[in-house]
Amino acid sequence: MTIAELVMNASEEAVGYSSDECLKCNVCVTVCPVARVTDLFPGPKYVGPQAQRFRTGRAQPVQVAGIRIPLSPDLTVDYCSGCGWCTTVCPAGVKIAEMNSQSRARMKAGKRPKLRDWGLGQTDLVGRLGVLFSPISNWALANRPIRAIMQTTIGIHREAPFPKFGRRTFQSTWKRRQRRRGTAAVPGPDRAVVYFHGCSANYYEQHVADAAIAILRRNGFETIIPEQVCCGLPLISNGIYTEARGRAHRNLDVLARYARQGYRIVGTSTSCTHTIKAEYRDMLDIHDEDATVVANATWDICEFLLDLHEQGKLDTRFGRLDEDLPYHAPCQLRSHGIGLPAMELFALVPGLRAADMDHDCCGIAGTYGMKKEKYPIGMAVGAPLFEKIRASGAPEAACDSETCRWQIEKATGTRTRHPIEILLAAYRVADAADRAGREPLAAAGA
Amino acid sequence: MPSADVVVIGAGLAGLTAAIAAAEAGARVLVLAKGHAATHWGPGGIDVAGIPAASTPRDGIRRLATQPGHPYAFLGDDVAAALDWLRPQLAAGGVDHVGDLDTPLQLAPTSIGGTRRAAILPAGQAAALSPWAVGERLVICGITGFKDFWPEAIAASLSRERIWEGGNRPASVTPVSVALPGLAARHNLNALEIARRFDDPAWRAMAIEAMARAIASVPGSGGRVALPAVLGLREHAAVLAAVQQRLPASPFEMPLVPPSVPGLRLYAALRAAVIRAGGRVQIGEMIERVEFDGRSVTAVVSAAAARTYTVRTGALILATGGIAGGGLVAERDGRLREPLLGLPVEAPPADDWLSVDAFDPAGHPLEKAGIRTDAELRPVGPDGTPVFDNVRVAGSLLAGQRYIGERCGDGVALTSGRRAAQSLTAVPAGPAAAPGSKRP
Repeated sequence: MTIAELVMNASEEAVGYSSDECLKCNVCVTVCPVARVTDLFPGPKYVGPQAQRFRTGRAQPVQVAGIRIPLSPDLTVDYCSGCGWCTTVCPAGVKIAEMNSQSRARMKAGKRPKLRDWGLGQTDLVGRLGVLFSPISNWALANRPIRAIMQTTIGIHREAPFPKFGRRTFQSTWKRRQRRRGTAAVPGPDRAVVYFHGCSANYYEQHVADAAIAILRRNGFETIIPEQVCCGLPLISNGIYTEARGRAHRNLDVLARYARQGYRIVGTSTSCTHTIKAEYRDMLDIHDEDATVVANATWDICEFLLDLHEQGKLDTRFGRLDEDLPYHAPCQLRSHGIGLPAMELFALVPGLRAADMDHDCCGIAGTYGMKKEKYPIGMAVGAPLFEKIRASGAPEAACDSETCRWQIEKATGTRTRHPIEILLAAYRVADAADRAGREPLAAAGA
Repeated sequence: MPSADVVVIGAGLAGLTAAIAAAEAGARVLVLAKGHAATHWGPGGIDVAGIPAASTPRDGIRRLATQPGHPYAFLGDDVAAALDWLRPQLAAGGVDHVGDLDTPLQLAPTSIGGTRRAAILPAGQAAALSPWAVGERLVICGITGFKDFWPEAIAASLSRERIWEGGNRPASVTPVSVALPGLAARHNLNALEIARRFDDPAWRAMAIEAMARAIASVPGSGGRVALPAVLGLREHAAVLAAVQQRLPASPFEMPLVPPSVPGLRLYAALRAAVIRAGGRVQIGEMIERVEFDGRSVTAVVSAAAARTYTVRTGALILATGGIAGGGLVAERDGRLREPLLGLPVEAPPADDWLSVDAFDPAGHPLEKAGIRTDAELRPVGPDGTPVFDNVRVAGSLLAGQRYIGERCGDGVALTSGRRAAQSLTAVPAGPAAAPGSKRP
């Protein structure tokens, strides 16, 4: 069976048949952030369940009674950003976003992907190269003429947010630290977790990985960091399923060994953890035991910390952070179906006035908003959010997803951090107060 | 695991009304719903009791309250207070309704060329109600390329006397279409997209000029003009004011097939009121089960990626809808089931399910199926005693009403939603909402 046929089967069994439940009620269209700002995309119903019955489920166009049946009646499905709001609000349980992702993959299957889409999908390759040549790559990405050339040649918008590459990868930093520390016995699953850092912490935001390790240790968990590759989401979003499946299996091979021993897998990138939990199954049609064991063991870090709190095991001695903190819940976090764990955690920090910005999508949607033709759409989608954050006058904002953070920072000039960085700052305030011998800070969480 | 004093399942009129009332009383409220539904499909008015025999909503309530087992038997006296309480909540979100329980029920023409009885309508639809003055004309103004509103078909139908039940009607009904800037070449054009364009003041000004010219070209157009319900989403009040001021006839919106723009406005106003009162709304929560301890619900568990999501709660309001909303599930053997708590369902025998006339004005017999409660909206067993202490039922899930056929669904929803919340938050020693438990 070819990969393309596998995709078809996934669509028919897991996702495609859910179009039978569609009432054509248009509720999905009312919440689509893309359809809200542009008529280039008619909305999820039109390209999803409505178009689904015209899709042949084949990898190539077929001839029926002399008529050529195209792969999809509506090629505008490529304008879907994959935010997943349609699936969230559907009263009939239709997997609309998944259907649209699979349709896009089918449209692209068997064709060589655009260099740009392929490159944006290879987050780990780009990351490795970027880090390797980091002073030069950072200079190039900040250089306006070069960005202008990139826009015309490969189609990455000149204004699209790009973070700075680190000087080395987090993996290499971690290994170096491990060597210095010498090999210690790995604690059992009750005292250690596997950390899935994802590409962002590995190549761009080591400080997020450092914060995760510090917070986990403070709460009694050592960190195990096995070899890992990109979760595959950027490839999925760009319709490159074959390579995404390769990444998925490489991760599953490693992670399943730990999951079977009872270790939990904790990630700081909420889109990576959601991919491992749900999209290996729903998008890539991986239903083997490894996938199930790993999905069940995987936690978004805020979800994990809140669960600790629920068990009375979270260190709640947070120091006072007297500040307004606008918070944006990323689309992928919403797809976890776990509420807003970061907001629950922020409520434990004395003085912190966290406010959910209550906006659907920042517009970046992974790599969507970086593309030349989609950048203006992404900016329009996020505009009300940017306005709210700017109006708040807050010195910093918080968000669980890296590309959203980059988008918000670029658009608003407001420093945007992972929720655990805020929590770590609160712990440090408490530590400083302890050291200064002042009155211990009020234990929060009552 | 998050916790709440009151979890409301369902984000329709009943659920959101209950959430507003409970949050106002100081409870920490979380609304969980599997998706959007009734509000996004509905016409945005408040149907309290639109039965043919009734002269006003109040008269309709009185008549329905005498039916054995109708929710108005114990809610009827409370409808006026609930409506008075809800109006300012909606008005704060830009949604104003015209009419009250003593407004005569009159015929309003619809976008499929029929009429329906109504009294309490959104401000944008209020001019639809009869009576029509002698010689008063109606123009139906469509938008070129917009396939959800066919002025010729509507006008042809509304020109027939029997559509108006033989009573008072416009002297003439004339169709006209107007091309609005940038829309003529669009396909897949829906009401929401046009409404969003109206939110833009520059586009709005051009569009209204074009509409004014088109309507003025119809001879004797000084009466009323029906427009598709697309007059702005967030800026509806401003759009309506501009349209009323500029058009040569008195305008009103006709609600359309989903997505219903007046319904979206209503949902936005209700949700905003919940959040203003300190409650939260989470959509996309497919509830898998409810956990309980004896006669008390303790937690609600919904599906999540790779595992479940549990919310501990002190009380539960079930506003999951009737058979159309998924609050009731029909089995192949002719039984109806309440899927979350397994509450006893009161239903007509399966033989009656197959109604001979699908469009029977009295409604479908199955509409009456639902959960029997006491006056406090506690679900009761066959012996009439409550089966749970901290559970209340609101909206179309309540037994004994024909929420569509009797046009009483909105009145029952908002009155029962509010009472359910009041009943829970008034319990002094109960787990729900001890005073002062509101979040800082």
